[in-house]
Amino acid sequence: MFNFCKKAIEIADKRGVDFGDIRIIETRRRVLSVKNGEIGDMDDSVTLGFGVRILHKGAWGFASSDKINAEEIKKTTLKAIQIARASSMLKERNVKLAPEPAYRDFWQTPRLIDPFEIPMERSLELLFRIDSVLRKKPAIKSAVSSMKFVREHQWHMTTEGSEIEQDILSSGAGFFVKAVETGEVQDRSYPSTHGGQTLSMGYELMENLKLLDNAERVREEALALLKAKDCPQDQVDLIIGGNQLALQIHESVGHATELDRVLGYEESFAGSSFATTEKLGKFRYGSPIVNLVADATLPGGLATAGYDDDAVKAQRWHIVRDGVLSGYMTNREFAHAIGMNRSWGSNRAEGYDNIPITRICNLSLMPGKWELSDLIKDTKKGIIMENNRLWSIDQKRLNFQFGCEIGWLVENGRKTKIVKNPTYQGITPQFWNSCDAICNENHWQLWGVANCGKGQPMQTAMMCHANSPARFKKVKVGVKVNY
Amino acid sequence: MKEHQKICGKIFSSAGRRPVEALISSAEFSLTRFADNVISQNVSKISTDVSIRILEGRRMAKVSTNQTDAAGLKRTVEKALWMLKFQKEDRHLLGLPKPLPVPPAGEKLYFENTAGFSPEDRAKKINETVKKTKGAGQTAYGTLDNGWSRTTVANSAGVFASHLETSATFSLTTRRGDGFGWAEELQNDVGKIDFEGVAAAAVEKAGKAVRPREIKPGKYTVILEPAAVAEMLMFMNIYGFGGRFYLEGQSFMSGKMGQKVLNEKITIEDDSLAGPCAGMPFDFEGMPRKKVVLVADGIARGVVHDRKTGLKMKTPSTGHSLPQPNTYGPIPVNVVFKKGNTEFKRMLENTREGILVTQFHYVNILKPVTLEMTGMTRNGTYFIHNGEIAYPVKNLRFTESIVGAFNRVEEAGDRLCISPSWFGKMAVPALKIQDFNFSSATQF
Repeated sequence: MFNFCKKAIEIADKRGVDFGDIRIIETRRRVLSVKNGEIGDMDDSVTLGFGVRILHKGAWGFASSDKINAEEIKKTTLKAIQIARASSMLKERNVKLAPEPAYRDFWQTPRLIDPFEIPMERSLELLFRIDSVLRKKPAIKSAVSSMKFVREHQWHMTTEGSEIEQDILSSGAGFFVKAVETGEVQDRSYPSTHGGQTLSMGYELMENLKLLDNAERVREEALALLKAKDCPQDQVDLIIGGNQLALQIHESVGHATELDRVLGYEESFAGSSFATTEKLGKFRYGSPIVNLVADATLPGGLATAGYDDDAVKAQRWHIVRDGVLSGYMTNREFAHAIGMNRSWGSNRAEGYDNIPITRICNLSLMPGKWELSDLIKDTKKGIIMENNRLWSIDQKRLNFQFGCEIGWLVENGRKTKIVKNPTYQGITPQFWNSCDAICNENHWQLWGVANCGKGQPMQTAMMCHANSPARFKKVKVGVKVNY
Repeated sequence: MKEHQKICGKIFSSAGRRPVEALISSAEFSLTRFADNVISQNVSKISTDVSIRILEGRRMAKVSTNQTDAAGLKRTVEKALWMLKFQKEDRHLLGLPKPLPVPPAGEKLYFENTAGFSPEDRAKKINETVKKTKGAGQTAYGTLDNGWSRTTVANSAGVFASHLETSATFSLTTRRGDGFGWAEELQNDVGKIDFEGVAAAAVEKAGKAVRPREIKPGKYTVILEPAAVAEMLMFMNIYGFGGRFYLEGQSFMSGKMGQKVLNEKITIEDDSLAGPCAGMPFDFEGMPRKKVVLVADGIARGVVHDRKTGLKMKTPSTGHSLPQPNTYGPIPVNVVFKKGNTEFKRMLENTREGILVTQFHYVNILKPVTLEMTGMTRNGTYFIHNGEIAYPVKNLRFTESIVGAFNRVEEAGDRLCISPSWFGKMAVPALKIQDFNFSSATQF
């Protein structure tokens, strides 16, 4: 494939562009789901194509095609140059990239079992078994169990001399049920919502997840929610972990610290950010126990790779250190805006036909000192919420509302009744500054976000947010509509 | 079309005598993005994606590829045949449908000038817009995109339906200090986009949005501009009007057919064959789309079906299948919310006290049956006093049941605007709604 890559680089060099790269990508994807005893999704797909990115006359152009041959590569490269020339009609300064050494390297996701070697029948068998357990009670009107595997093989070459081959694999699985009774619908899922748990590994994830072992419990909790009382409207201590805390990190810290957003380049769509660059190193984002670390080297992380799509080597850095804003998600174009001479390496594209954009890396809340049981004992009036059901945050990443599948009241140090429709609202810095306890490394676990949408055209990216449960003081919970 | 016919021929011959279905999507799409008055991203993609379903008794295999040469297609079909050997039986699997007459697209939807709109053409239009916004002391952000797409559904039972259309969208956000404005136009013909009109609307909004004041969250009369209504309607389309959600008891209309479910001023239809949302006249099973009245004068009248949900409800498909198989079921994709008779200006004048909302941001759903949702106001939120815009306000979060809100509609605007939707588009008017619930405020 690098021979094809060379064609694009030769043309780009000959035309005297400022920078150019080509990424040839082959993506194999397998999606399986069973819904209510029927096959819901079943697709095994392969796509192959390439995208050429050109920086010419100080402006960007990008073109892609799904036909890999010398003529098409020439045509597409020239088209990218034409687009860059058109972009230069409206610029105020030339785009300059932060320097990065050239690399020749191969990197791949560590895996024990190749999921594409597993017959579909075996996967479907497990999904049907889960489905039959989930639907044993008539109030369960909808049950979906699913698996998804994606392998992306990339060949990336730049005009600066990098030749990077990467083979990145992710596996995911989970299930959810909807219990319905007299106009009430309650969801419960395992291990997490939005398609289940996804991590960068092979089919061995299926055994680790113990899907079947949890089906009955999850079904019964969904039924219990139908009879439960609503989450009270109150201000209480909130304990969250798992994929809800992962989403909280994602929405209120991850997106807020994408440097392209911060600089206004996403204003027309996703919005901007309150975490502006003059706050770097000064702004108290959270309480002193809050440490949030971006890490493209995290084992199992969905954003873990050898290099990003700017050909920058994977790194680990603080976004929030001891509660203070300490870094951003960067690419080579914008790193200079915060006085850096090197990008932290968080520029990624979905597939071959999208331009790389600044993305959230794996971003994790580092563990604290508490045992979970001690944290609950220490909470007089609180609520534990689990598994995200609803998420919404404003265009500067300040005001948010989250809803979860299930809540448990904490009364005088004891986890007591189940409550339904738990929601909470807050303002990002106030919320993170109210964090007074984080559980220790025994509870620290990776949670995958496999559906992060950003950009125009919209692209989906994946990343992980490891965390252990944490407590936030006096949070507004139980937001209601009276109708 | 000939290219798609050739692809089908190769697939069918490789599959032998087995029942086989092909879904082919070709598209060329280009988008120029601008921010802070300069072009920031500029992309173009061309692709053909082929999805193949092969059936054998109650077993089915589905494979996809974008390699459409003879070898690539043969390899893909062979993979499906291999997968079939290991496949589990699905006792609910339907056979492939026989062809039904598909009406031609009701409107002209393909325009050569739109397919050929170049990067230089886009840069020129954006440049003209930026000059205007700069002249007004504002900064411009947005996108201008154009492209064409052809979708073909064919099967070995004789179905062959193919549709070609172009589209272009100009979306503009402008900023003056802490005031934001926004406007957008979506057309099949780029020549019909009123670039000056879009710029003028966004600039006027941002100009009026400077130095927003804080107001207390609570219940207010609201005037929702069409883009804000569209954000809510999109969720109603998926969770309220789809046959599968209806059958599972998850729709607000479940068990209420023929009963009043929304305000009597509301009529909502799905119509791909004519009118403002005309589009592809067949679905992803190749079945002809039919016009479906979903709600008439507030009364629940129908939901859309694919063959599977149609069978369960003993009614034919309405032609609203998504690509099979899927877990969503059928979804309406060409939805028209019928306009009312109140001029926007008059709607404003009729309001003693209320809030005018340009657009919602990051809307999401908590309870599907009541369509309880939350989201933020964006790009121009204003307090109305004695029939006039009195001052801009800081953005608010709504937490509201859309079913409840659509029961409290006081007036509907006399003009429809087109908004993009999942797999299609929507035409919606502005709405004036009483007691709309804002649950909290933000800081800007």
